[in-house]
Amino acid sequence: MNLIDMYIHEVTRRLPERNREDIALELQSTIADMLPDDPTEAEVKQVLTQLGNPAVLASNYRDRPMHLIGPKYFDVYINLLKVVLPIAMIITFIVLIGKIIVTSSGDQTIGAFIAMIISQTVWQLISTAMQTAFWITLVFAIIERTDKVADQIPVTMNFKTWTPDDLKQITPIPIKKRITKWHVFGSLLWTAIWATVYFNASNLLGIYNNRGQGLTFESPIFNQNVLQSYWLLIVLIIALEIALAIYKALKKQWTNKVAIFNTVTQIVALGILIVIFTNPNLWNDTFIIQFNEALSINKNVETWAAQTSRITIAVVLIFTVIDIIDGFRKARL
Amino acid sequence: MSQLLNSLTTELRRGTLTLAVLSQLKTPQYGYSLVQRLENCGITIDQSTLYPLLRRLEKQELVTSTWDTTESRPRRYYVLSAFGITIYNQLRAEWEKTSQELSLLMKGENHHEPD
Repeated sequence: MNLIDMYIHEVTRRLPERNREDIALELQSTIADMLPDDPTEAEVKQVLTQLGNPAVLASNYRDRPMHLIGPKYFDVYINLLKVVLPIAMIITFIVLIGKIIVTSSGDQTIGAFIAMIISQTVWQLISTAMQTAFWITLVFAIIERTDKVADQIPVTMNFKTWTPDDLKQITPIPIKKRITKWHVFGSLLWTAIWATVYFNASNLLGIYNNRGQGLTFESPIFNQNVLQSYWLLIVLIIALEIALAIYKALKKQWTNKVAIFNTVTQIVALGILIVIFTNPNLWNDTFIIQFNEALSINKNVETWAAQTSRITIAVVLIFTVIDIIDGFRKARL
Repeated sequence: MSQLLNSLTTELRRGTLTLAVLSQLKTPQYGYSLVQRLENCGITIDQSTLYPLLRRLEKQELVTSTWDTTESRPRRYYVLSAFGITIYNQLRAEWEKTSQELSLLMKGENHHEPD
């Protein structure tokens, strides 16, 4: 095969079957027109240089874009990515943490536990991000190629061209009222962390001692079977907190409804905390004795437990009240 | 600097290519004869754009094409359709208007320069 045939093949193999023969014939005749009789290889090369890269010529024939996503859809594409990616990541994160809580065997130290969470979530999160980005990109690349309307006017989020009426859809949110996606992510992370710690408290919370072989776990603070007996109430708070976080993410700002929802969640959580901390069997006796010895306090075990419980409830009560008031204050701004 | 000028010039000329091609198709032309006619008038064009452009004009029904097999090698001839003639005349009027407006603008610019 000579250079000319190779060139024509390189162009036509990129074209739809039905046009190939016709375009090949025309190119053949055009190239022959451009060349003198009995051309040298240098002359052929010069002519082919004028016609340029076969891929470019073919794409001009196809009249198809040489980009994946053009100016018409680019803005919508980027905006959608920004909305969908964090949601996908957060959902993945919650599911993974939930899975770890359910399946963890419960005989690790806190360091090993955190290491396990990181090692199991990082790759999953990267994989979710890549999957999400891939599918959104694919959908937009298909839209770009199937859009029969020839204009290249960029579209807005509702897939129509922009009109001044679109401005009415935007409600500017004052910075102080705003609920950022980091705040939402932070609350979900907090829920995941405390729930994990709660169900693994017998291995995580307690006295650690260094007897020459690194930190070893000695005695847990709480009686795990007491904590475990409240599992239904704990699941209720987790559900409430997740629902609140999602509601906040949707509203994007503090409103009265968000503040009320926040109040309900906080009060339920406080109530459950009081129920748990007023259980006389909550504290692990061994822990209290060891703790008192360590600080050389000489106190009755029951008094110590009751006092510490009362202090804990009081501290949480103060923060709950501040949080509830703050919510309503931001809603009124 | 000259590269910037080059790209600006290309951009400026891109839109006029269709008009230039349409103006030469009152009589039937094949690809290379069209290139030569345009080059004779000093218009150099990217050939990888021209041949696909002819196809596109045909798809838009501005030109019609026929294979001529009577000569030594078969050639595809393109010529303006009735619809193409109408569009060409409108486009041409549009061009003349634009070019007049622009020269008026640029004369005005010269006029203000002494300030």
